Amino acid sequence: MDLTLLWTIQLSPLAAFLLIQLLPARLKKVAPGIGVLGAFVAAAANIKLFFMHPGGAGFPQEFVYNWLEVLDHRIWPNVAVDNYTLVVGFLMDPLNLLMITLVTVISFFVQLFSVYYMYEDKSRARYFGFLSFFSFSMTGLVLSNNLLQTFLFWELVGLTSYLLIGFWFEKPSASQAAKKAFVVNRLGDLGFYLGIIVLFLLFGTLSFTDLNAGALQETFSAGVLTFIGLAVLMGVMGKSAQFPLHAWLPDAMEGPTPVSALIHSATMVAAGVFLLSRTFSLFSASSTTLLVILVIGTLTALLGATLATVQRDIKRVLAYSTISQLGLMVMGIGAGSTVAGMFHLSTHAFFKSLLFLTSGAFIHHFHTNDIWEIGQKGGKKERLSMIVLCVGLFSLCGIFPFSGFFSKDMILETLKEHNIFFYGAALLVSFLTVYYSFRMLFVIAFSKPAHVETCATQDTHNASSHPGGVSSLARAIPLISLAAISLYVGALGTPLMNHQILHWLGGHAAHVNVELILTTTIVIVAGAALAFFQFKNPEAALVKLESAGGPIKTLLLNKFYIDDLYNFLVEQVSHRIARIFEWFDRNVINGIMVNQSAYSVARLGKVFSKIQNGLLQDYLSLAIAVGVVLIFWIIKIV
Amino acid sequence: MVSQSLQSYLLVSAALFSLGVFGLLSRRNLVAIVISLELILNSASINFLAFNKFCMHDKVTGQVFVIFIIALAAAEVCIGLSLILLLYKRKNSINIEEAKELKG
Repeated sequence: MDLTLLWTIQLSPLAAFLLIQLLPARLKKVAPGIGVLGAFVAAAANIKLFFMHPGGAGFPQEFVYNWLEVLDHRIWPNVAVDNYTLVVGFLMDPLNLLMITLVTVISFFVQLFSVYYMYEDKSRARYFGFLSFFSFSMTGLVLSNNLLQTFLFWELVGLTSYLLIGFWFEKPSASQAAKKAFVVNRLGDLGFYLGIIVLFLLFGTLSFTDLNAGALQETFSAGVLTFIGLAVLMGVMGKSAQFPLHAWLPDAMEGPTPVSALIHSATMVAAGVFLLSRTFSLFSASSTTLLVILVIGTLTALLGATLATVQRDIKRVLAYSTISQLGLMVMGIGAGSTVAGMFHLSTHAFFKSLLFLTSGAFIHHFHTNDIWEIGQKGGKKERLSMIVLCVGLFSLCGIFPFSGFFSKDMILETLKEHNIFFYGAALLVSFLTVYYSFRMLFVIAFSKPAHVETCATQDTHNASSHPGGVSSLARAIPLISLAAISLYVGALGTPLMNHQILHWLGGHAAHVNVELILTTTIVIVAGAALAFFQFKNPEAALVKLESAGGPIKTLLLNKFYIDDLYNFLVEQVSHRIARIFEWFDRNVINGIMVNQSAYSVARLGKVFSKIQNGLLQDYLSLAIAVGVVLIFWIIKIV
Repeated sequence: MVSQSLQSYLLVSAALFSLGVFGLLSRRNLVAIVISLELILNSASINFLAFNKFCMHDKVTGQVFVIFIIALAAAEVCIGLSLILLLYKRKNSINIEEAKELKG
């Protein structure tokens, strides 16, 4: 029964994808239905699976199929295993099941929201096909029982991300962003793959169940362990947009907004954090790796949070916020608590996808990404969107009783026990988070409506393009459900709900830490107050901000010059190196080796073609001369 | 009375062959070239007959060959002359130096 359900979860999005691809052109308009249905079946099977194992009974469970027999792959003589069977299969344990639930449930809501968001788009079928294919790849990634299978789906996920960022490929910025995301991810995956290869050659197995810190430490020296850990960490950094491979994520916002909600905030970018928890023993076996993880997480969190404070594009604010929250999760895991990291991942997935869908609702309605413009066009009149925006932002800030409060406090507590310096950094990140969240909220809420006329015309335009209640339902249901889940998921980690999610992940119950709660409350109030005094009058604040200069502002607006550094590296360094190779290829390989040999044959031919002068008797004399010589030669030999 | 020995036959044959080759190389007239070719074939025939007469017990083999050569020569002359005729139609001349379009 479990196996059937797992197969259903795995294959129903794939079936939806194939079905959409095979649809004849005149039936393309049912593609959204198929996509939503596929996601619904997966989500339903998933929920059933979830309730069949209350409290994680009967875990972990593994279903293994043999794939390839590898005979005598031994390279170093002191490795014990020399025959190995590459396996594929499902692993079912609390971690996987939590993650897969996030993926399928959010997939379903995002597919549903897309029905509303992509209503006018001509190539909807392609969109829903890719979205289903993404669900399939992500499911495969999460349910996999070994690193190699994870890696395969990891790459498929990267591919779908590329396809969906570049969905509106007519826009040069979108295709550029897609390329950037793909290339940066490849850079990370290179390290990941290297790590997998080394691990396989030396350790002989890639199954998650076999990876435990004790066995790893027995087999490897500390240096090798650190190397493998850091190599795999590269992949995590690429996928989860950790510093310095974070540069692709803000640009990825060029894709349709529901895609950003599903892939670039909730599920795919969380895959890196998931992998960190999945193979935590690989990292925890080396304290150096853990420290590196912690430092990278801290840098990422600070970087994302500071950059989010100056963005005007609503999606870019959220993108940088995603980066900083991912950094926080990584910090939590680096401090040794996968439970805190995964808990924050779960709550973050829900409230961030909620925020993105809300921003999608704004963008779709007002046709602009700028928060000031949204405010001026009357963003606060969108009742439903404003309410769910508040829910999402309060969760993001970690205000009681919204879900972010519980998960973020857990990370903070872990960090506090671990190291006071990183705790301070995390508090600073929280402060900045509150600041930019409230900045966004205040700017949208307090702006005085201007351009009433344009707004009215757009309203009628929208009304005409959205007939019937289906698409408004498709907008409302995901927003309301995700808001409700955002409230509920956090409560799962409280004493009220018996710490369900923490026990589920194998952690202990969190105790109420009054000091910590006080600190976070102060941070939240301070951040909110700062945002309030700065943005209570958004128009004036905008004028003031535009006129203000200063090195910090320039630094932030230029994203710490990291993108410029990459451009410099690519244009100056790697292009120069490429030019040297190009010169070598053009002149040595092509010029001397290929062309010169061809030319010399041609020249030789020119010489001999003189013989062929068209005079029959000259040919004859040559033939006779050669014949005579040959005959004499033969006679001499005989 | 001329002495009948193998050498004298071969001498005649060699002389004919040389004349043929000389004609092939020196004449520009295509008909003359075909005639030279016939001379070469005939020298080969004489060789066959001479060796047949002096060296073989069965006197028929060489003669069969010669008949074959004569038939072959006739066929060859047919084709050669028709080609020459075509060339003449096209060029209004049977000079071999006129036909050199295929030079390299």
